[in-house]
Amino acid sequence: MSDEYNQKNTPIKAQSSEITSSSSGSSKDIDYVRPAELPEQDLYHGHSFITKWIFCQDAKVIGVQYFLTAVFTGIVGLVLSWLMRLQLGFPELVPFITAEHYYQFVTMHGMIMVVYFLTALFLGGFGNYLIPLMVGARDMVFPYVNMVSFWMFFIAVCVLMASFFVPGGPTGAGWTLYPPQAILPGTPGSNMGIILMLVSLSLFVIGFTMGGLNYLITILQARTRGMTLMRMPLTIWGIFTATALAMLAFPALLVSCIMMTLDKMLGTSFFMPTIVQAGEVLSYGGGSPVLFQHLFWFFGHPEVYIVALPAFGIVSDLISVHARKNIFGYRMMVWAIVGIGALSFFVWAHHMYVSGMNPWFGFFFATTTLIIAVPTALKVYNWIITLFRANIRMNTVMLFCLGFIVTFVNGGITGIFLGNVAVDIPLSDTYFVIAHFHMVMGIAPLMVIMGAVYHWFPLVTGRMLSEKLGKWHFWFTFLGAYSIYFPMHYLGFIGVPRRYFEMYDSPYVTSAIGMNEFITVAALIVGFSQLIFIYNIVVSLSIGKPAGKNPWKANSLEWLTPEVPPAHGNWGEKLPVIHRWPYDFNVPGAKEDYITQTTPPSEVISAEVEKT
Amino acid sequence: MSKFFKKLFGALSDKPWDKEQMATDNYHQGKTFDISNQTSAVIVIFGVSTVLFSLIITGYLYSIPTTQDTQYLLKPNLLWVNTLILLSVTYFFNKITKDLKKNIYEKIKKNLLIVGFLSYVFLFGQIFFWFQLMKDGNYVSTNNYFSSFYIFTALHGLHLLGGLFFWGKVFSKISKLEQKEITSHKKSIEALSLYWIFLLIVWTMFFLIMYVFNDTVIAWCRALLS
Repeated sequence: MSDEYNQKNTPIKAQSSEITSSSSGSSKDIDYVRPAELPEQDLYHGHSFITKWIFCQDAKVIGVQYFLTAVFTGIVGLVLSWLMRLQLGFPELVPFITAEHYYQFVTMHGMIMVVYFLTALFLGGFGNYLIPLMVGARDMVFPYVNMVSFWMFFIAVCVLMASFFVPGGPTGAGWTLYPPQAILPGTPGSNMGIILMLVSLSLFVIGFTMGGLNYLITILQARTRGMTLMRMPLTIWGIFTATALAMLAFPALLVSCIMMTLDKMLGTSFFMPTIVQAGEVLSYGGGSPVLFQHLFWFFGHPEVYIVALPAFGIVSDLISVHARKNIFGYRMMVWAIVGIGALSFFVWAHHMYVSGMNPWFGFFFATTTLIIAVPTALKVYNWIITLFRANIRMNTVMLFCLGFIVTFVNGGITGIFLGNVAVDIPLSDTYFVIAHFHMVMGIAPLMVIMGAVYHWFPLVTGRMLSEKLGKWHFWFTFLGAYSIYFPMHYLGFIGVPRRYFEMYDSPYVTSAIGMNEFITVAALIVGFSQLIFIYNIVVSLSIGKPAGKNPWKANSLEWLTPEVPPAHGNWGEKLPVIHRWPYDFNVPGAKEDYITQTTPPSEVISAEVEKT
Repeated sequence: MSKFFKKLFGALSDKPWDKEQMATDNYHQGKTFDISNQTSAVIVIFGVSTVLFSLIITGYLYSIPTTQDTQYLLKPNLLWVNTLILLSVTYFFNKITKDLKKNIYEKIKKNLLIVGFLSYVFLFGQIFFWFQLMKDGNYVSTNNYFSSFYIFTALHGLHLLGGLFFWGKVFSKISKLEQKEITSHKKSIEALSLYWIFLLIVWTMFFLIMYVFNDTVIAWCRALLS
């Protein structure tokens, strides 16, 4: 493939714009930018359907490929959640849901949603589409590696899905895949199922590393002239920091996957202690299951922020654009993103309180967990202050942003409860935890994804989505999600245990049965209401209102391409030159309520930039 | 390193809305560090792989059972030779980068070929050592020492193979060029050289912890764990 690409390589020979006027007293003086010193990037343009749309090196196409593949896995995860809820709400209504199947659904739902849906969608989908556009690059710095990254992800998804069709089915070890039970007989999918899961995760990590390499270096090294780090939109800061986290956290997942695969296939004992099974001593010995837990959560907790940080960044930009106001405390927002990223590596063992640890470790991890809430809360305050006395456009995008803030605060506060050892231990195995993490890293990021799709759909397709359908979609999703997860807090408080296939004759049946039925019905309605969203997308693709250029009157670079949707290479002949940050909304003295990043000072001479 | 952090984190105190700051920012070329994309890529891979190898070592140190004896520790043999080979590869790479800086192109092709050859010899040496171990009855499942040994050497070997893939691409291009045209691939060669230094550092750490000073490290870990 690479040889063929090299032979057909037809580089863009574009010139950067240069303003070299130096006549004193001229208004052009204040617009002066240094001539371009960096060479232009050569791009490979696909000529056939295959090289344009399948094995494509354009980051925007790769972003859409990531997005569609992730959404496909997300739909599979959604269907699995319905099946779980059917069993919990109406036990034995669906005959084929056995205990084994239930645990397989739980496992696959969890892993799909966290890794293959949310991570891939935020970093692979939004990252690929937005990074080059928002920093003013023509493409990622290594487009070929970027393409391979997507196809590794695609193969990883195929391997994962194949586990549904192997003897024994997919693994049912729970999404944390804890050994020794994950690879021992008695656990559903303990043969091919777990092996395929581990192989798939390993492929995912390798593929992501290729993509992450591109995201980091493009952001650090390939920005356009005038685009300093602190002139980047918060979306890019979120994606950048999340990628850095992922690059440091995913190796822990890779190592644990490799080690567990060897434990299963070659009889090593990395995670396997001496085990007696059915009266027989197994060949394992000397390993530590708790080591796996440490490795898994060293990846697992930063993973929460790998999903959350891009969401934080994106929602900041959406709020700013749709409230027509600069984001309050931009520097604080950047520091908070970086701070949360750094702290996220020091909280992992709060997932392991029930595994047992030295009380001082518990104290340490409870403290760090509370500390990480500080920059997170700071961001919430800043979003709210940005909205305060703003010229808010109450459109679908804004509704989803507000939905995010409410949901995130809700899930975040319950997280502070659970960060405390004494509170966590009794609640750890209950539905309270399910409610907490679905609120904070399920529904909240989903709200941002939905808002982001409504916001950037006009850029990707050139057409607007229907506002009317969008609002219906929001209210069904928002109220429906609360109908599902709010009651779960209560279930947790009365002690309903999670991971149980059926409650049988326990007292929970009588006290929780009505609520479980309600939650199941709500889950089905919310799931089906997503058809409104899919219908809106499909119909708007062909008959949606033409978006034109910059329909939201935003400042950031992605809206300033010569063509909408942007062509390969993004910027035509001249790369853009940046004169300001992306948050100049309603600047006193300016004619319009927005000043784009490429607007030179001489064009807005009377505008007085606000202090923040 | 301090410059790196100063550059990255110093920028965080900028006030992009400020008029004076805006004038300064307009001069920015858009690049954070004055290094090539290839070198940047190698540095990022450094970070990722360092975490990977560190976790394997940590896992090994974490799971040393208190009753484990060290009788299987290996005596000086092929592994020392392999280490010397990897050291010599880095030496040749160092010569190449020095020549590039001085614009001396005569020996670059030859030295680059030696680098590739010695790297393959190192890989074959490692595989040969595996066979020696297995012949002595020390398999990957024998105990946690050998499990960690095999997994670490395998991953290090895969990293080296990855490097050799890119070495092959660069060398095939350079071999067709005139001597003075080699300068067009300077960045790639420098990045490769940096990558091999990283491979040597990783190997040396492993070699010291799990081989040369294994007894001491195990005793230290036991003391720590107890």
